[in-house]
Amino acid sequence: MSAKKTIKRTPVAQQERFFARFNLGQRWEHALLFLSVTVLLLTGLPQKYRDMSWSQDLLSTPERLDLIRQIHHIAAIVLTLEAIYHIGRAIYLMARRKMSADMFPNMQDIHDAWHMLQYLLFLRKDKPAFGKYNFEQKVTYWFLFFGLALMGISGFIIWFPVQFTQFLPGGVVPASKMAHSTEAVVAGIFILIWHFYHVHIERLNLSIFTGRLTEDEMRKFHAKEYERVTGQPASKPDDK
Amino acid sequence: MKTRTPYRQMPWLIFAGIVVLFVSLFATIPANARPPMQETEKYCLSCHGNSSLSMTLPSGEKLSLYVSQDQLDHSVHSSKGIECEACHNNISTYPHPEQKYATKRELSLNYYQTCEKCHSANYAKAQDSMHAQSALAGNENAPVCTDCHGHHDTQKPDEPRSLVSETCSKCHGGIVDIYKQSVHGEALLSEDNPDVPVCTDCHGVHNIQDARTDQFRVESPELCARCHADKALMDKYGLSSDVYSIYKRSWHGVDISVYKARWGTVWHDSAVCTDCHGVHDMRKTNDPASKVNPANLLTACQKCHPTAGPNWVDAWTGHNEVSLERTPILFYVDKFYTSFTPFILWACIIYVLLQIIHSIVDRVRSTLS
Repeated sequence: MSAKKTIKRTPVAQQERFFARFNLGQRWEHALLFLSVTVLLLTGLPQKYRDMSWSQDLLSTPERLDLIRQIHHIAAIVLTLEAIYHIGRAIYLMARRKMSADMFPNMQDIHDAWHMLQYLLFLRKDKPAFGKYNFEQKVTYWFLFFGLALMGISGFIIWFPVQFTQFLPGGVVPASKMAHSTEAVVAGIFILIWHFYHVHIERLNLSIFTGRLTEDEMRKFHAKEYERVTGQPASKPDDK
Repeated sequence: MKTRTPYRQMPWLIFAGIVVLFVSLFATIPANARPPMQETEKYCLSCHGNSSLSMTLPSGEKLSLYVSQDQLDHSVHSSKGIECEACHNNISTYPHPEQKYATKRELSLNYYQTCEKCHSANYAKAQDSMHAQSALAGNENAPVCTDCHGHHDTQKPDEPRSLVSETCSKCHGGIVDIYKQSVHGEALLSEDNPDVPVCTDCHGVHNIQDARTDQFRVESPELCARCHADKALMDKYGLSSDVYSIYKRSWHGVDISVYKARWGTVWHDSAVCTDCHGVHDMRKTNDPASKVNPANLLTACQKCHPTAGPNWVDAWTGHNEVSLERTPILFYVDKFYTSFTPFILWACIIYVLLQIIHSIVDRVRSTLS
C-alpha cells in the first residue's frame, strides 16, 4: 500500500539489489499486531480453558486470574488502537485517492489460485507469476482482518456486557462469548498453519521486519511486480 | 353304635402332644436368640409412673420425674426391650445415688452421651456437625441427640418424612416456614411426596454443616444436581435433567467449578442455583412468585448486575441448549463455527499439505536428476 520505490544501492561485490516492500509504519504495525495477538492468545487461552487443570495450575490464585485479565485487556486496547490507526490510515489514503489496490482481492487472485492448485496437483509445470501481494498473502491479511474485527467486537461486548445490552439485544452476549472463544482458536490455528508455513517453512520471509526483498526473492515470488518495477523480465536466461 | 371313650382317643392325644413338643422345640430357638426381656421398666414406673413425682434442681427449675407408660409404649426402644437402665446407667438401685445436675439442660447434656453406646457411628458424625461446633463455642442450647430424637418417646425420625422439618422447625422455625411455601415443601406437606428433599437431604443428617461457608456455596450446585440431574426422577415431573450440565458450561458454572476445584475457601459471587432460585423458597418457574419467573428474572439478575437493563435477561440462555427459537443469535454463531469455519480451515490445511507434498517431490526430483 506504500508508494513503490526502488532502493538503489551502490553496487557491492554481488551487486545485490533490494526492493522496498513494507514501510517503517507498516513494520511497526506488524510488530504491534504480533505482540498484542501473542499476549492476547497467551492470556486468553487459559481463560477459555479454565475448566482444564493446566489452566488452573497456571491461574493458581484468584489474583492471578485478575492479573491475566488485566493484561488481556491492556493488550486488547493496544490492538484496538492499532486497528483504528490501520483503518483510519486506509480511509485517509482512500479519501486522497492514494490508496494502493495491491491488497484488495481481484479476479486475478482467483485465476492465480486455480493456476496454483493445478501446479500443486502436478497438472501444470509453472507457478503463477504474482504481483506485489499474492493470493496467499491476501488470504492471510483478510482472514485476520475479519477475524480480528470479530474478536474486537465480541471482546468488547463480553468486557462490557451490561453497557452493550442497554441498546443491543441480550442474545449478543452469549453469542459474543462463543464467537470470541472459538474465533481465537480458529485464528490461532490459521496463523500456525498458514502464515507460519508461508513465511518460515516455504521460505524464510523476513521482509515484514527488514522492509525489503532481495532481487532473487522478487523475481521468484513476485515476478509480475518485478517486471512492473524494473521493466525487465523476471526470468533470467540461465533459468529453466 | 360305638361310644367314644377317653381310652380310644388316648393315642391321638399322645401324638398331638409329641407334635406340640416337637414344634415348640424349634419355636423356642428364635425366642432364645432375642435379648432377654428387661423387667426394669415396670419396676421403675412403680414410682415414676406417678405424675406428680418431681424434684427441684439447684437452679430452681422443677424437674418432673414422671414417665408415662404411654410414652414408653410409643418409643422405638421400649418395644425392643431396651429399658430404663440402658440409658440411666448410673442408676441401678433404690435409693438412687445422688444426682448432681444443676440445671435441666445439664442433665440432658449428660444423658445424651449414653446414645453413643449403641449409635456410635451417628454419634461420631454428630460430633463433627455445626451443632457440635456451636456447643463447643459455649452454646449449651446447641442441639444434642435427644433434642431432635426425643428421649423417653424416641420415634423413627422420618415417619412421616414431614416429621423431619417439624423437628428442625423447633429451632429453625422461620426457615421451615419459608420451606413450606416452596415447591419442595408444598409437595411434602400436601402429598407426602417421597422425592422432594426435606431439610436433612440437603443439609445432611448428623454431620450437618454450616451452610453459609464458601465450601458449602461452591458445592451446592452438586447438591441440587443429585436430584435435578437424575433423568428418571426429572422425567417423572416433566423437568429437564440437563439443567446442571448446561449450568456447568455457563459463565457462572465454570467460575464456580474452578473455585470449587482450587479455591474452595475463597468466597465467590458467581451465581449458584440458590442465588437465582432462592435458598429455601424455590418455586416452579411458572409460579408468579418464583424469583426466576420471566416477569421477575430481571430483578434476579440485578441482584448481582445492578445496572443491567431489560435486554439483559436474554443474555442468560437459561438452562437450554442452543436453539433457533430461544437464542437465534447464538444459533447462527454456532452454525457459523460448526460449518463455515471448519470448511475454511480444512481448505487451508489441505492447501498447505499440497504445498508441502509438492516441495518434497521437487526436492526428491532435483536430487535424483
